[in-house]
Amino acid sequence: MEKLILNVIHRPEMVPEYAEKVTGHGKEEDISRESLLTESLDIFKTQQEIAHKNGLKTTIQMTYASLFNEEAVALAKEHHSVYGDEISLSLLGLPCEEFRNKYKTKDFCIWMFSMEDKKAIVKDVFEKFYEKFGFYPESTGSYYIDAELMNYIKEKYPTVKCAVATCWEEGPKAYHTCNNSWYTLFDGGPWNPWIPSKQNIHAPAANEQEDSGVVAIPHLSRDLMACFDGNGSNFGTHPQNVLRGMIYDSETWEYPYLYNLIDQYRNLAKYNKGYCYNMMFVGPGWMNKMGRWEAPYELLLKSYEDGMAYYGKLKEEGKLQEMTMSEFADHYRATHTYQQPECALWRDILYGSDKQYFWYADPYMRTCLDMNQGGAMIDLRPYVAKLEWPVGIGTKHIQDASYPFLIQANYRAGYFTHYAGEGTIKSLKVRYEGEEVDLCLCRTKAHYAGEGTKHIVTLDPVTVEFADLSVTIVSKFIFDEGSSKVEIVREVVDSSNPESKVEFNEYITACYGTTEYPEDMSHIILSVSNKDTKETLEYAYKCREGELEQAESVSAIIPEIETKVEILTEDSSQVGYYREGYAFSPMFTLGMKKEIQKGQVMRTWLSLEKVN
Amino acid sequence: MAQSGKGKLNYRCPSCFMRDLDIDMFYDKDKEEYYCIRCCYSGKEEDIKAKNEMARFRYRSMRKRYTSFDS
Repeated sequence: MEKLILNVIHRPEMVPEYAEKVTGHGKEEDISRESLLTESLDIFKTQQEIAHKNGLKTTIQMTYASLFNEEAVALAKEHHSVYGDEISLSLLGLPCEEFRNKYKTKDFCIWMFSMEDKKAIVKDVFEKFYEKFGFYPESTGSYYIDAELMNYIKEKYPTVKCAVATCWEEGPKAYHTCNNSWYTLFDGGPWNPWIPSKQNIHAPAANEQEDSGVVAIPHLSRDLMACFDGNGSNFGTHPQNVLRGMIYDSETWEYPYLYNLIDQYRNLAKYNKGYCYNMMFVGPGWMNKMGRWEAPYELLLKSYEDGMAYYGKLKEEGKLQEMTMSEFADHYRATHTYQQPECALWRDILYGSDKQYFWYADPYMRTCLDMNQGGAMIDLRPYVAKLEWPVGIGTKHIQDASYPFLIQANYRAGYFTHYAGEGTIKSLKVRYEGEEVDLCLCRTKAHYAGEGTKHIVTLDPVTVEFADLSVTIVSKFIFDEGSSKVEIVREVVDSSNPESKVEFNEYITACYGTTEYPEDMSHIILSVSNKDTKETLEYAYKCREGELEQAESVSAIIPEIETKVEILTEDSSQVGYYREGYAFSPMFTLGMKKEIQKGQVMRTWLSLEKVN
Repeated sequence: MAQSGKGKLNYRCPSCFMRDLDIDMFYDKDKEEYYCIRCCYSGKEEDIKAKNEMARFRYRSMRKRYTSFDS
């Protein structure tokens, strides 16, 4: 197995997030308190010492505030010289007296400022960095960097080749967990490094023209199941986040989950041509001397030491190679093509469920299959649209930086709904003599195979039992690099009556949005066509349906996200249909139906296209 | 009655934690208990610790070290 590539990042944040709230309770806000500044730098020193002790070099992301601190600057220079650490520049950690006096605001998230302010701040921060170090940084970052800002940084400071650009699935779930007060709404990005497009930071570039010029890395390596199902902030390569989730033995202070998480990321090499990656980036506020929630400082410290020690051990065993951010960018460019996807067959390592997800991301889509629901598609983001989505003050999306979904089965119901209506999901319904079964209720397991440009996920057979017939079905999902399509093959491999035919209904129920709440569907156009006819319907919440025999295509155009989603077939025996939703069920459904018996297959393609 | 403050450790409400909501509790020194301002939970330190143990019920693999990631 190839080595796990690791980025360890530290930032001397002179006013750490949380610290003022935690240590300053009962005092008037004062971000220039001497005790706060001293403690902040001490935490940074501790983190650096732990990494170096374990033989790991780091990327030091200087914050704006730290550029005014001579000791922090001197430490960075020394550690660069002694340990080979990269001196980088973060756009986190803006708050300090100097910043507030100059910009007259308490805003601190770079992506939420107006574009005018973003440019001014970038210039300010980068020039201050140059003044202190005599060169411009090769890497930067924040929790999120919007495409417009990234393009500006790259244009003005072309030395930048790597950036922390998003935090995986840190959206409405994180917002809710923080009592609706944490405005990091950026779901829908890749979980592992990627080359962002110039149009949208989440969507990987498909070619050189779209290439933003940087390699993006996620803030932390997140649990691809726990973070999708629940609070995103508890499940990542951030030891104190694991404590936040209370995923440790309160008597022994042991947390095997952290190591399981790292090891599962190592295991992803199987699906990615031997490549696997981890990122650890703990802000100093998480190692506060006052402790964090119910975790005392000693436990916060221990967890960081243990995490680093595990990485150090892997390095000693020849199973890990740490890199600085700029080194990683060069490595990534040398070993990846634009079309190369990220694949992850991920298993539950926390809840004891044996549940499995398969995640896939390329320049055209991000999607997830849930084997606990028969391989149903539970998340779908049409990256193909490369949606231009400016964020920040003065735009339509001041805080909401998520890439829109077509399917998000947790935000928009999925298979199970209360009382009426449908939820977003892509699955297969099997019908026989008045009975109907959805494969969402057939739990199974998946196996991955890579064949050239094809990434094939084959599910274990599932049996559907009717009153007087049972059929066994194997499903296969084929992701072909660069195609913007997923081929779906359903085969009846066994039947209690081989002559009996069942009806397969390959369907997608979808909508669009970035949150749990519905959007206006009024501009959507539904179509079904065969070689002679095309029927279309303008969405008006009227619960209408349309159907066509010998269908070739059934599609929906969603102007708000510049996307066409389509089910295609080359089999003239299929019947295509669309179904409009209604106000209590603001969805649309597209499907293909086919009569099928033992030994036969149904083949369709789910296709995504950009439309203007 | 004087205002409430933070306790020696900054406990979160265990009831809210179980619905994926992190919310700090405050300490009422007259009643010698922590209480949540978001829901109706209140309790002494021992009760919070016990409820925090209960909250871990869903982490059935919390103590397991995996050596294989194939299902």
